[in-house]
Amino acid sequence: MIGTLLRQRFRRDWLQLLLWILGTVLMAVAGYSGVTQSYGTLEDRQNILAAALANPVILMFRGLPSGPGEGAFLAFEVLPWLAILAALMSLFLAIRHTRADEEAGRSELLSATPASRTLPTVATIVHGVLANVVLAVLTTLALLSVGLDAAGSTLAGAAAGATGIVFLGIGLIAAQLMRTSRGANSLTVWVLVATFLLRGIGNAAGTPSDDLTHVTSAWPAWISPFGWAEQARPFDEDIWWPVALALVVGIGLAVVAAVLQSARDMGASFIAPRMGRVHARPALASTHALVWRLSSGSLIGWAVGGALTGILATSLGGVIDQVSTENPAVADILKKISQSGTLDEAMVTVFFTMLGIVAGCCAVQTVARARQEEAHGTAEPILGTPTRRVMWLADYLIVATCAVLIVAAAAVVFAFIGMASSGGGSDIARTVLVDGAGQAVAASVFTVITGLVFVLVPRATIGLAWALLLIATMLGLFGPLFGMPEWTTNISPFGATPVVSGGDVDVRGLWWLVLVVAVGAVASLTLMRRRELATNG
Amino acid sequence: MSTVIHTESLHKHYRRVHALDGLDLSVESGQVHGFLGPNGAGKTTTIRILLGLARKTRGAASVFGLDPWNDAVAVHKRTAYVPGDVSVWPNLSGGEAIDLLARLRGASRRDRAYRAERDRLAEVFDFDPRPKGRSYSKGNRQKIALIAAFAVPADLYILDEPTSGLDPLMEVAFRDEITRVRDAGATVLLSSHILSEVELLCDRVSIIRAGRIVESGTLDELRHLTRSEISFEAEGLAALEGIAAAHDAAFASGRATFTVDSDDVDAVLPELARRRVAGLRIAPPSLEELFLRHYGDDLEKIEANKR
Repeated sequence: MIGTLLRQRFRRDWLQLLLWILGTVLMAVAGYSGVTQSYGTLEDRQNILAAALANPVILMFRGLPSGPGEGAFLAFEVLPWLAILAALMSLFLAIRHTRADEEAGRSELLSATPASRTLPTVATIVHGVLANVVLAVLTTLALLSVGLDAAGSTLAGAAAGATGIVFLGIGLIAAQLMRTSRGANSLTVWVLVATFLLRGIGNAAGTPSDDLTHVTSAWPAWISPFGWAEQARPFDEDIWWPVALALVVGIGLAVVAAVLQSARDMGASFIAPRMGRVHARPALASTHALVWRLSSGSLIGWAVGGALTGILATSLGGVIDQVSTENPAVADILKKISQSGTLDEAMVTVFFTMLGIVAGCCAVQTVARARQEEAHGTAEPILGTPTRRVMWLADYLIVATCAVLIVAAAAVVFAFIGMASSGGGSDIARTVLVDGAGQAVAASVFTVITGLVFVLVPRATIGLAWALLLIATMLGLFGPLFGMPEWTTNISPFGATPVVSGGDVDVRGLWWLVLVVAVGAVASLTLMRRRELATNG
Repeated sequence: MSTVIHTESLHKHYRRVHALDGLDLSVESGQVHGFLGPNGAGKTTTIRILLGLARKTRGAASVFGLDPWNDAVAVHKRTAYVPGDVSVWPNLSGGEAIDLLARLRGASRRDRAYRAERDRLAEVFDFDPRPKGRSYSKGNRQKIALIAAFAVPADLYILDEPTSGLDPLMEVAFRDEITRVRDAGATVLLSSHILSEVELLCDRVSIIRAGRIVESGTLDELRHLTRSEISFEAEGLAALEGIAAAHDAAFASGRATFTVDSDDVDAVLPELARRRVAGLRIAPPSLEELFLRHYGDDLEKIEANKR
């Protein structure tokens, strides 16, 4: 019986799981080639580790320093991110097959058959563990294939998979606690973010070794599944017991979830869903207000992303100075992407290109929500009220534009904070402002592109808009790295923004971008007059 | 009496599919007009064109004498709409969704009359406004749209299968609300495939099939198109001999049964009285029979598939 269920799930899931697993494998391989190209010598890597130990911000986003060896350095760079991918794959899998199915009424159908009530949970445990085993094995094979040693490769793969299994357990518990899959997903993602930060804090507050290549973490790292994965120190000491600990905790949580499942009614939850307001706030009286309401949650996320990008852009300056005097290759790459003067300016430009992409994601997501509303059926009652079609779309474009400005402003403000805290370097203030404003315009290009796609080919909105953003990201950020001709970089909005070069502002493609935004906005709104409701199907 | 909704040879094509194929529909002011047909006959498409949510391919359509596509906002100002498949926002409570829709239709934020009306309707429909969207069942999502529609007065109510998720008690509450708005002078277009509901509520009925109106009129007018069924206790078919207007004579389980044209019923009665029949039963044609008259061949297909 469980075999039938698993086969059906495999048919539903295989593509999604394949993408998560391939993503993890690719990150491992790309991480390795990054390490060998940028930090080829032992000395390079020692320098970076020493710089990282001096800068808590870096330790928040990288792993646990465990020596300058090639493999150990790779683990320092990418292991937390491999573990995050495994964790996200597992938590979404856990909730998709338990609470989401229950919410949609599919589990009810299933539980009415001779299958028992706990079967979906048990099948999800088997399913999730299998997915993580495959992820661990393929990651191990990828690391072996680039020539790393067997013990470390196996341990690194296992550490990622074990973190996935812990989050499988956490997701299953959340699915028992919360009434909706939305609630369960957000609870688990919060746990993920919190434990990821705890691990970073634990590492940043840890004790560095005398040769500045290792850190002994402080206690917060030990209450995080990501901390356990890192404490295995693959390619260095190869300690297996933290991975075993993760496995035991993960399976333990999953078993608790199965017990909880058998102790409650179908459709019930241990935490009652939070009740909403009886009456809407006075402000919720227009489609404009509705779009803000629908977008505010994700906007906060993107703004935090913008703020982080901003603070890294200016606070990492000192570190990079140190690195690039000893490693001209790094400086070279930075200058290629930014096409600008001093190294500090280049740093800011590179990070603000990333900010542009973050803001672009925010723009696409906000405008694509119009399509989600339409496909989901919530646009229909709205458009049945005295609301103009054109104004309805305009509201999404306006909110997306404001959201882009908010994300860019967060980045600029935090860049100034980073500048102030790292002491000096106020000469790059102008670079920050020019880059911030330029990238906001570049991101707005995606607001109007998504709007146009929505009007012209409604059913392709979500896929096409994200695909265009991805292409622009590839061309703008990675084009220079792969040595592609300059014009390919320049057709990406992110690569055509004004830059400051040695104190002078070069506007480059700014006027083109402004023109595209203006024409796109007018075109999409004009065409919207003739567009009918495109419901799903 | 003025015409509120009027369409003339209305066509709507989705690529090769002809969703509407020359639809003529007319709804007079103050009527409760039943719009009958099974799923896929074109009811929702018609309603979307009347609301300017979809564009007609050919033909004419007007609501309040306005073009529903070009003057959509003017039409919507006087119209309340309940979609067939109501969806709600996952992060808004039911109460917030109702308030939002009502405010978009012009309820002011501090309007006491609106608040009182909303609270009354929540009571009538036994609706809890606090849970957030995802946790509502189909029936409860429908209540959100119904409460938002009835809480703000409108001249025209367009309701697309509004009771398909409601339980029988709520259907009673729904009928009371329809009666209330009709008494207030509003026009109602009620799309449905539940015949008993239409029979109870509607002054006039239009039956749609494959994108055309195949029958339209008051229930009385339509009843004349079919025959009444008459039966009484008898020993055999012989009991029916000599009844001139009888059709479809049959005998089963101690009862003789025949049908007569609705106009001939009074002509048959003296004959029955003379024979002193026992257990007499006269059933006027139900809407169901009317409906099946137009969908008879579809029914035959279903029967044929059974064999």
